[in-house]
Amino acid sequence: MSRNTDLSAVRQPVTTALGLPNAHYTDPAVFAEEREALLFRQWAGLAVAADVPDPGDAKPLTFLGMPLLLLRGKDGTVRVFQNICRHRGMILVEEPRKIEGAIRCPYHSWCYSTEGRLVSTPHVGGPGQNTHDAIQRDALGLVEVRSQVWRDVVWINMSGDAPDFDVAMAGAIDRWREFDLPLYHGGADSRFTLEVQTNWKLAVENYCESYHLPWVHPGLNSYSRLEDHYNIEQPGAFSGQGTLVYRQLTDDNGTTFPDFPDVGEKWNEQAEYLAVYPNVLLGTHRDHAFAIILEPQGMDRTVEHIHLYYSVPDTDPALRARNTAQWKVVFEEDVFVVEGMQRGRHASGFDGGKFSPAMDGPTHCFHDWVAIQVEGYRMQAQAAE
Amino acid sequence: MNDLEARLLAAHARGDTRALVGLYTEAGEHANSAVAQGFYLTHAYVYALELGDVRATGLHARLVAMGRET
Repeated sequence: MSRNTDLSAVRQPVTTALGLPNAHYTDPAVFAEEREALLFRQWAGLAVAADVPDPGDAKPLTFLGMPLLLLRGKDGTVRVFQNICRHRGMILVEEPRKIEGAIRCPYHSWCYSTEGRLVSTPHVGGPGQNTHDAIQRDALGLVEVRSQVWRDVVWINMSGDAPDFDVAMAGAIDRWREFDLPLYHGGADSRFTLEVQTNWKLAVENYCESYHLPWVHPGLNSYSRLEDHYNIEQPGAFSGQGTLVYRQLTDDNGTTFPDFPDVGEKWNEQAEYLAVYPNVLLGTHRDHAFAIILEPQGMDRTVEHIHLYYSVPDTDPALRARNTAQWKVVFEEDVFVVEGMQRGRHASGFDGGKFSPAMDGPTHCFHDWVAIQVEGYRMQAQAAE
Repeated sequence: MNDLEARLLAAHARGDTRALVGLYTEAGEHANSAVAQGFYLTHAYVYALELGDVRATGLHARLVAMGRET
């Protein structure tokens, strides 16, 4: 492990603070440290429940090198397991597929139910003898990863010791309580991914501030001006931006998407965009919502998984396609800045950057959270030595 | 190679799990020892379990009766 980075300047008030040091974007040792402190010890976004819509649907995923299995049980519950057999650690499911009965390990055929129970151990006691006193099936189910579904995002806590999800996310859940309604994924035309050559944190930083909008997204200037936006800061949990002017998308006949019912008049014109720490970017509007899960694939590689949602299961396909295309343009416009900042972080001597106290509060809020989590992790690691 | 062996190998080659349930059950019926029968019926049971095939219930009961499964 390299020498610890100095985070004292990050912890200062926004007027005097500096951003995170370069090493948090360029040093593999810091990336490994952040993997534990910022992703495994928190409630991190892994996938969406819509990835496994039907009972028995299974989707293997790799999260920061960890082989996981997203699985909707026959009981309808979405769970996350380590995607390995309890026998020899063999990978169980290689491709997304429907589990018709049980998950059979392709190596020695130990079988698991879709709820993770070990249900068969063929020949474990010798040929044709499928039991052995030393093999207690009840204790050898698939290793489950703590998970929770909120706004269709499957959040996981790899370390298993984060506060309960409802406690950890209380601020965000409460802020959008009016939108605590069924969300319907728009389907295949309402999901796309962007592969970006950047550290995942830069995608968070860019998302949560409105300062860049008039420069990077000039198309928004015609109806959503910088002065229509406001900062959102909830230290320790999330930050983002809101707009007081939201214009609904229409088709050529002036038809719009159906509204989420009874969310209140305030949301007629308002929309909000939250970066829920660590790696989930959410947006909500009167008539649609989206979730972006940032999948860190390395120190300088991130895959953005974008999903759009509506208030009803059946929406007009053409309007939906138009909405997807519109958001894709916006998110693609951000790629050059998050990649540019990543390359910029190789400039030796860069001090982390100076914040605009008026405009960069949400970004500083995120950096401050990173610094607190990393320092807490270091203190705990030091105490354990 | 007898006919059953050939059919088993062919079913494995084409990944026909449903056929394997029946073929391993058949192999169990013709086994010449209790161990061999347990072996074949275990294979039939595991493939039935994987498929969610109703035959799993009966195969499981047979293996339990033989003291080979719980």
